[in-house]
Amino acid sequence: MNRNYIILAILFLILASGLLLLPERENYKQISPGELMRDVVQNTRYLTTDQVAQMIIEGDPTLELVDVRNEGDYFEYSLPRAINVPLDSILAEDYIGYFGIEDMNVVFFSNDDIKADQAWVIAKRMGYKSIYVMKGGLNCWIKTIIQPQSPAETASKEEFELYDFRKGASMYFTGAEISAPASDGEQAVTVKRKKKSSVAEGGC
Amino acid sequence: MENKHVHETNPKRTFITVLIFIAIIVVGLLTIRSPKLKYALSPQQTVELVTQEDDVMYPYELEDILSGVNDTVILIDIRDVFEFGRGHIEGAENIAAITLLNEDHIKRLEQLKDNGMTVVIYGNDQLQANGPWMVFRQLGFDNVKVLLGGYDFYKQWEGMLGDTYYEDSYLLGGPSFDYAEVAASAANVDNTEAGETLKPVTVTRKKKAKVAEGGC
Repeated sequence: MNRNYIILAILFLILASGLLLLPERENYKQISPGELMRDVVQNTRYLTTDQVAQMIIEGDPTLELVDVRNEGDYFEYSLPRAINVPLDSILAEDYIGYFGIEDMNVVFFSNDDIKADQAWVIAKRMGYKSIYVMKGGLNCWIKTIIQPQSPAETASKEEFELYDFRKGASMYFTGAEISAPASDGEQAVTVKRKKKSSVAEGGC
Repeated sequence: MENKHVHETNPKRTFITVLIFIAIIVVGLLTIRSPKLKYALSPQQTVELVTQEDDVMYPYELEDILSGVNDTVILIDIRDVFEFGRGHIEGAENIAAITLLNEDHIKRLEQLKDNGMTVVIYGNDQLQANGPWMVFRQLGFDNVKVLLGGYDFYKQWEGMLGDTYYEDSYLLGGPSFDYAEVAASAANVDNTEAGETLKPVTVTRKKKAKVAEGGC
């Protein structure tokens, strides 16, 4: 046998062993830190409680509400049709199947928005698309949807419309009777002034 | 001489072939695109990071920084130039969030890390700084912390930050209501006094929290 062939064979075996050093292939496509930062600094991931309420009421089939609080809190109270994925087990095998479902819009929520936002950043890094955060979380949900506050008499028409929506939503979600609104008298006032564009009443 | 392979007749040729082959591989390895920024934390480590809640700076700690007692902290304002210009924490640097990963800024952060400096980032509220803080931590900048309450809380308590030691309205994460009870008793929307249904609750943070007043 020719010596050259032996040398060549040994050389290629050595080179082939380099394949062992290649990193393990991951079964999900993480996005790069640069992309993650770019997405993180945008505010497009936030949905208002009103938007979420509307989607639930309309029975939006693409809505996937994810409660990232712990199990105990979830069973005590959560939003209708919400599923529970505690933040500390968001990557656990039992739960990973809830994410990355085609056409589903995942909306994270927690008591306020910090924990939901952290869940969002992790899910974003994992490359999941169509994920959102409910701004203000359940605290804001109670303030705006369950216990809406009547806007001031001088408030704009939009604010009254928003209030009407919230009253309806409150009934929808609690099955509560709403006492006779005192707004009849207010609507009779015809004076309309341009208001300073203050923050919308009751917004979070 | 019949049927002899070219390599067997000319050893030099073999040598040249091998040389070219190796040269191609070496060039390939050298020009392989290695990303400038790499995650230092795995996704699972990131989950552990956010469940630990260690990397925070409390507003009362600002007092020592502003008075110069604690000079190992650099404050970075991640809001845009406009908002920074309207008002910012004294001595803070402005690096708008969108430019945080620019090469210059990364170099600066690396320098600060090597010098043992702590970097505290803040936005208008804690939420605004939360995402950038998480990205930095995932990149391995374990000297980066986030300011609780953000600029809004600072502005509200400017000049008396030391008094915020027992204040806890800036702490986030806890429930402001007993949701189940509120939802069950929300029968009377118009006449419900917010104060009646609010309850002092214990949050999962380090301190007890009263109901957070103000926005969500």
